[in-house]
Amino acid sequence: MFLGRCGVVLLTAFAAASVCCAASSASPDACRELSRHGRRAEASACYQQLSQSGEAYLRAEGFWGLEQYDQANEAFRVAVAQPGSKAIYRVRWGLLLHDRFNNTEAVDLFNEALKQDPTNAQAYLGLAQVSADGFDSKATEYAFKALSLDTKLVEAHELLANLALENAKPEEAVAEADKAIALSGEALEAMAVHAAVELLADRSPDEWFEKIHAVNPTYGEGYALVGYHLVLNRRYEDGVAWYRKAIEADPRLWSARSQLGINLMRLGQEEEPLHQLELSYNNGQRDAATVNSLRLLDSYKNFVTFRDDTTILRLRKSEADLLRPYFQTELHKIIATYDKKYKMKLPGPVQVEVYPDHEDFAVRTMGMPGLGALGVTFGEVVAMDSPSGRRPGDFNWGSTLWHEMSHVYILSATNHRVPRWFTEGLAVHEEGEASPEWSDRLTPEILLAIRDKKLLPVAQMDQGFISPEYPSQVLVSYYEAGSICDYIKQRWGDDKLLNMVHSFAALKTTPEVIQSDLHLSPEEFDKAYTAWLEKSVGQTVANFDTWRRQLKDLAGLSQSNKNDEVAKAAPEVLRLYPEYVGDANAYEFLAAAQLANGDKPGAMTTLTEYEKAGGESPETLARLASLEEELGKPKDAASTLDRINYIYPENEDLHRHLGQLWLAQANNAGAIREYTAVLALNPLDKASTEFNLAQAYFAAGENDMAEESVLLSLETAPGFRPAQKLLVQIKSAESNKTQTTNSDTEKK
Amino acid sequence: MRLTPHLSAVGALLLAVLPLQASVYYVTVAGLGGEPDYEQRFTATARDLDKVFRASSDAHVYTLTGKDATKNRLTDTMMQIARQAKPEDDLVLTLIGHGSFDGVEYKFNLVGPDISSAELASLCDRVPAKRQLVVNTTSASGGSVEALERPNRGVIAATKTGTEKNATVFARYWAEALQDPTADVDKSESISAMEAFQYADRKTAVFYESQKRLATEHAVFEDTGKGEAVRPGTAQGREGALLSSLTVVRIGASQAAMNDPAKRDLLAKKEELEQKIDALKYQKAAMEPGEYKRQLTDALLQLVTVQGELEK
Repeated sequence: MFLGRCGVVLLTAFAAASVCCAASSASPDACRELSRHGRRAEASACYQQLSQSGEAYLRAEGFWGLEQYDQANEAFRVAVAQPGSKAIYRVRWGLLLHDRFNNTEAVDLFNEALKQDPTNAQAYLGLAQVSADGFDSKATEYAFKALSLDTKLVEAHELLANLALENAKPEEAVAEADKAIALSGEALEAMAVHAAVELLADRSPDEWFEKIHAVNPTYGEGYALVGYHLVLNRRYEDGVAWYRKAIEADPRLWSARSQLGINLMRLGQEEEPLHQLELSYNNGQRDAATVNSLRLLDSYKNFVTFRDDTTILRLRKSEADLLRPYFQTELHKIIATYDKKYKMKLPGPVQVEVYPDHEDFAVRTMGMPGLGALGVTFGEVVAMDSPSGRRPGDFNWGSTLWHEMSHVYILSATNHRVPRWFTEGLAVHEEGEASPEWSDRLTPEILLAIRDKKLLPVAQMDQGFISPEYPSQVLVSYYEAGSICDYIKQRWGDDKLLNMVHSFAALKTTPEVIQSDLHLSPEEFDKAYTAWLEKSVGQTVANFDTWRRQLKDLAGLSQSNKNDEVAKAAPEVLRLYPEYVGDANAYEFLAAAQLANGDKPGAMTTLTEYEKAGGESPETLARLASLEEELGKPKDAASTLDRINYIYPENEDLHRHLGQLWLAQANNAGAIREYTAVLALNPLDKASTEFNLAQAYFAAGENDMAEESVLLSLETAPGFRPAQKLLVQIKSAESNKTQTTNSDTEKK
Repeated sequence: MRLTPHLSAVGALLLAVLPLQASVYYVTVAGLGGEPDYEQRFTATARDLDKVFRASSDAHVYTLTGKDATKNRLTDTMMQIARQAKPEDDLVLTLIGHGSFDGVEYKFNLVGPDISSAELASLCDRVPAKRQLVVNTTSASGGSVEALERPNRGVIAATKTGTEKNATVFARYWAEALQDPTADVDKSESISAMEAFQYADRKTAVFYESQKRLATEHAVFEDTGKGEAVRPGTAQGREGALLSSLTVVRIGASQAAMNDPAKRDLLAKKEELEQKIDALKYQKAAMEPGEYKRQLTDALLQLVTVQGELEK
């Protein structure tokens, strides 16, 4: 149910008729107190009494308590319209709207209340709660403002405790929770924060739940809060268990049921999530995450699932035939590599879900659209964008899969007790290990961060991911974490990274792990890493301003088709910053000039460097493949085209051409895969494609498959001469084989 | 040329009456670009088509670009063809550029005065060539179909309606279709209007998909002379039959064989086998798979022999 302050709910007649029964003893505070203690029947009677009050504000509180939200909304409207209405009415109305998923109008009401009463602490608390919902850093600011106006505002301390724990600052969380408890021995949310802190540190939360039970044995919100923090720390299965406890304590806690459903979806389930989400929805939990998740579940009928011993692959039906061979092969390759590297086997098959609609992926991940990520891992379930969901060149599904699968192993190896920076760093590092050109790119934002000394000390790396302080800090943190792992591998070897995984699994903190495994203090490590990084990229950092100036000039020369001048200037631009392969890069300017000057070998060399530096424009790589083929390097051409398969495998011509190259190079299995991909793209020219596939099968000695394909080709185009000739060849081979077999039988 | 399955019966009939010594009149116009980029693009596409058409035998090619792309020049050209063409000839008129539609009338933008779809239809009507194809690749070209449609005239428009007003990319892929052997899906060594249309339509869709842009053009065709233009895949009844039988360009030696009286018997045998294969395909669902495969293979191997004889 989505309430709006302008929503028309015709309850005035009811309100007028109910004036008769004045709420003699009931007050909103008294009713809430009963609720707080889990005395539901008494609370309900109390709210009932309020709902029959002659005073609109009291009626509003009564209806709200009775979960009659439309009526409450209408009563608040009447209350604030009355002359002399208090600021708190607007605040409470705002909180109702916040409770019913309408934060926009809730904020308006809090602001109106503040206009009426600039010292209203509750209004600031409301603003803080809305901001916290959106992970807005202003939440803390508003909460402190509320406390400055009312030092005894328990809820503000509770909110601050929650925010601190969200930001992985358990000590601060505990301090704020204690302040709340000091003000009220019944600060249930503060107790739940304490319990969450204990659980996150793998200690028993029982002491805190006993305290909570003493106040309110049905306080499901406490368990839900714990579940929320476990999920935030990627402990999805634990989170699910705590959401279950929440609804056991309070079966009508629809928000917890919805979160249970969403997190079960994250773990790859469908049936129970559908049940829980529908139940929540039908009982008024109609927030965006619930609605979006239900829509996504409904769309699963358009997906198909493939299972084998180690993988479960869910693909959209329309692209399953195309993607399945690539994804399954890559997954098996990754599993074989990581099994060996991490010296472990996953406890069960890993589930990979591939979404061609990015917003479906976002909903799958967050319950909400608008996510910037390419892939997300939930334990043994990976959800990611499909290559068709992004513009060609924007996304490398291969490197994304290696990245996410690294998380699967590390989360499993550490039982989900691994700091964010380390698992991300290792995943970035693994991308580069799988293929050097997939290494994390030294983009301009990262260069600037290094130049401006914005990299974080290793002990504080998590902050860069959890609470970034500048727009590109998450991106910079990925690079830093990845390069830290590169550095560790380079200096201490692969085994040391594995030792660190085990140390994190043993619940050591980052400073402890650095000390115990690398025998350096975190400060010494930072110093050594910075020196290594300086040696590795320091010159490029120093060149940045010059490079930027020269690249701008080069772009101008290229635009004016001054090819000789481009060819002369570009090498220096490349020397200044060779890692830059983004928009308007010097490699492409130089190659274009070289081609215009007829220097094809030069252009090929330039574009090969571009490819090695991680350039991923499918068009540019296709140009390189074409040059390689033209200049007598068909193997290199095939290899380049195969790289594009990891970036944008939706191109029919690419598969067809790669199939031809591989067939000519006797890579028959590769040719079969590529021609099968062409067929999966439903080509107009089916006859040629089936014929090509038949040729590849015939070359591979798979004559039965070859015959099937050539007949399909001729079924479409009976007069297709090359296919006719192949059919004759196949039949002739079959006849020879039969004769040989008969002759052998006779001899025997 | 073989036909797409759903049109094969009608197509076979048309094939039997195809004139063997007909000429094709190709008129291609690259209209006013307005901006240098468009001007360049339209002219380049028209020149590509000019080159393709000139490579065909028995082709009469007229291409108007740049300052020549005027209403007067187009009218003169069409009048000249009207005087020369015979009923057994074919006419292929291709319009490249911008078009406009005010809700009532479509106009093709030319240097100087524009020309309306009704005026274009009137010019085509004067050409005695019985079978005609108008390929209007401009923006808003869907608005021209109603005025242009007539029995024995296929009309292809790059846009579904006159309200799809953004510049189109269909022309680029139409020209590509006529040069790409993969457009010849039935391997008849010729590209029919339907094959080129399906190729260009597919490539246009892929273009928008790969660019992650909302498609602002949806090509349609009309070739029965009445009714609404249709999207590929939605054709019913005789819709598509004319386009399937209308060869836009030949890309092999099939024409030569068709014109050799000594090979008529073999051609008839080939036709008979092809019809047998067609009939088999329609019975496929009702046949035991092994038996279908055996009969199909037999018929195909006989066809191999006949085609081998034809090639001698």
